[in-house]
Amino acid sequence: MSEATATSLTERLRTPRGVAVAAVVALSLVALAALGLVAPGLLAELLDIATSRTTLGSALRLSVPIALAAVGGIFSEKSGVINIGLEGLLIISAFTAVFVVDTLAGNGAATQTHVWTGFLAGVLASTVLAVLFGVVCIEFRADQIIAGLAVWLIALGLAPFAAQVVYGAPNTTSVTVPATITVPVLSEIPFFGALFDASPFVYLMFGAVAAGWYLLNRTAFGRWVRAAGENPKALDTAGVDVSRVRYAAVTLSGVFSGMGGAALSLSLGQFTGNGATMVNGKGFIAIVAYLFGNYNPVGAFLSTLLFAGLDALQTGLQNVAGYDLPSSLVRIIPFVSVIVVLALVGRTRIPEAAGDHYESGEE
Amino acid sequence: MSEDAGGGDAGPVPDSEPRWRQLLERLVAASAVERFLISFAALLLSVAVGTVIILVAGRTATCEEAAFTLVSPVLRTPWFSTPELFRLGFCYDPVTVFDRLFLGALGDPLQDNWQPLTGDLNPFRAGWDPLAPQIAITLRETTILAFTGVAVAVAFRAGIFNIGTQGQMVVGALATALAVLAAAPLVSGVLGTLVLVPLGLGVGAVAGGFYGAIPGALKAYADANEVITTIMLNFVATGVVFFLVDSYFTAPDTQSVETATLPEYAGFPSVVFDPRIDFSLLALAFALATLVGVYLVLEHTAFGYDLRTSGIQPESAEYGGVDAARTVVSSMAISGALGGIAGATYVLMVAGKFETGFPAYGFDGITVSILAGNNPLGVAAAALLFGTLKSGTTVVQFATDVPPQLVGVLRGLIVLFVAMPEFFRMIGKRTVGTGRPREGPVAADGGEPDE
Repeated sequence: MSEATATSLTERLRTPRGVAVAAVVALSLVALAALGLVAPGLLAELLDIATSRTTLGSALRLSVPIALAAVGGIFSEKSGVINIGLEGLLIISAFTAVFVVDTLAGNGAATQTHVWTGFLAGVLASTVLAVLFGVVCIEFRADQIIAGLAVWLIALGLAPFAAQVVYGAPNTTSVTVPATITVPVLSEIPFFGALFDASPFVYLMFGAVAAGWYLLNRTAFGRWVRAAGENPKALDTAGVDVSRVRYAAVTLSGVFSGMGGAALSLSLGQFTGNGATMVNGKGFIAIVAYLFGNYNPVGAFLSTLLFAGLDALQTGLQNVAGYDLPSSLVRIIPFVSVIVVLALVGRTRIPEAAGDHYESGEE
Repeated sequence: MSEDAGGGDAGPVPDSEPRWRQLLERLVAASAVERFLISFAALLLSVAVGTVIILVAGRTATCEEAAFTLVSPVLRTPWFSTPELFRLGFCYDPVTVFDRLFLGALGDPLQDNWQPLTGDLNPFRAGWDPLAPQIAITLRETTILAFTGVAVAVAFRAGIFNIGTQGQMVVGALATALAVLAAAPLVSGVLGTLVLVPLGLGVGAVAGGFYGAIPGALKAYADANEVITTIMLNFVATGVVFFLVDSYFTAPDTQSVETATLPEYAGFPSVVFDPRIDFSLLALAFALATLVGVYLVLEHTAFGYDLRTSGIQPESAEYGGVDAARTVVSSMAISGALGGIAGATYVLMVAGKFETGFPAYGFDGITVSILAGNNPLGVAAAALLFGTLKSGTTVVQFATDVPPQLVGVLRGLIVLFVAMPEFFRMIGKRTVGTGRPREGPVAADGGEPDE
């Protein structure tokens, strides 16, 4: 950010955000201390789980769809189009990926080529839906929030509908999962070994977060995206077509979310479409993740890791013997933490022109 | 194809007939009428897209015998005939689907050979019974949807995107069931009904109102985006309610997670309709009265004025002395209370107990409200439409193999199309020729998108 105003804004944002992060840490410590007083054994158990390799592994695995959708959402919102429909993009790509893998494999077992073709198909499906959303918002000036909700509702109906048509149930059949990538020596390290013994999607996520950060902060395109969201008129005056930049950004949000959704279902080898489907709010958590991460892909990834870590922790907690923790209650921990974080972060400074339609005034 | 469906509502325009044109222009200009036309066009367009989806799905699915066959047109003359180019079989027949969905839900009101143009004006089938069970089911769904729809509408009018009606409804429903179960042994008979129904509704409204006030307070005092918090609170409500019922309130004699059944007298009594269908005209009347009441509050009281101005112009509302934070919290509380009443009505009239896996009336409420232009009176019509869709879903399931999730897709499509009025305005303008002289570029852009 070279603009002087932007710097001062960042500074203004630092303080409340710093307070928020400190508050979250303090609250968690208080909660832990309280837990330690009530049930000392449980606290030890909790620390055990938190520092275990499997927890890091599953936190990384759970991060993949959220972090990728968050990076996509950053591009869209930075360009001035608030994409509430990330959840829908995740759902549609999750279903399409598994469906294509299953169709390609026919009666035999799916090969790795099939898996990656399915992955690309999932990305394509999500991108198509995102472009449709872009047309509705940019060309037809729809209310972005309502159009985003529509994207979610359409995908929420369409994916289980298609699964029902093809498989006779809201869930698909199981397909082959991609082979894990294990780095020989490094994967032996106690805790961080999980970083080197993971699904290829985890590495893809690292790559996408880095690429997203670079694209947004170090390229001309990234500058245009930010300008389209902050001051479209200036961008227009500079001779760049605001609508085209916004289309590109919304399309990118579809590509990133598509990778996330396809990775979600393919890493489990199945799409489940009951109720809120297997995506189950991950798209909305992604929005909170990038708000908390201040529209920075790396920040968004770190806050994703926080939510996913809590999720991994609750899965670990459910397996603790001797403590009868109600799973239905433990399962809401990530959702509650999202609300707490959002309440503490408070007003996130959304891009100046986000949510507004921009009409070039020259014609 | 989409253009046909969208343009159809603007009517066929005869060449250069000034009065026709003037009338149409005035129609296109009038905002309330325009809103209705847009909703109607959105519905038609959704049905059109739904037809395509049914056909595509019908090609993908496997079945013994095609339900619908599309044959290429064949030209037959005495001298030659063109060959048949294709004959496509589809597993699902879209005409049957929409016929069952709309007419099936109303107990097949239309007679087979109704010809309004040639004489037989009576559209109704001879044996049509307006009190048929399927109509009772349709009206039952309409009743619940009227409450969730108006709940969403109140929040939307205040400029708050309350996506949490589902959660507020579930919380209200559980509170109602528990309160009525606790109070039921104290009273019985007609007195029981007179006491328990208002009690249940009141408790549901209070519980839903509190649950709705939480995201309202978070928005007002912590600036937390209500779209996200309400969606998260839906998940929280489902989890907490499941935990509570599972751990403390499950009836001893059941395998599923649900409370004990309420006594027979703790519910809306059946009027006119078959008592075997869980529907009461009194509940429907109560719903309609609520819609009118909310309309009056919004349009004719100082509070309603504050609420509406906060929605349209938050800055000027505040400048004019409206306490913005309080308006946000109170409109969310009212919205939540109406959602809670929806849950209470479902428990008292339909389920007769609280069961987990609550139907998604809350999300349908969003569609109902958007379709109604967030107008409480329009909610009645939109709720009837969606009640028909929901009730028709079961009829479709009986008559065809089309998965019931289709209605979910239609719901999303309707929201999408209603969200883009500009699309229909463009088509309207292209059909009528002239429109309001505003925003020149619209006409300039208008040529591109609809190929």
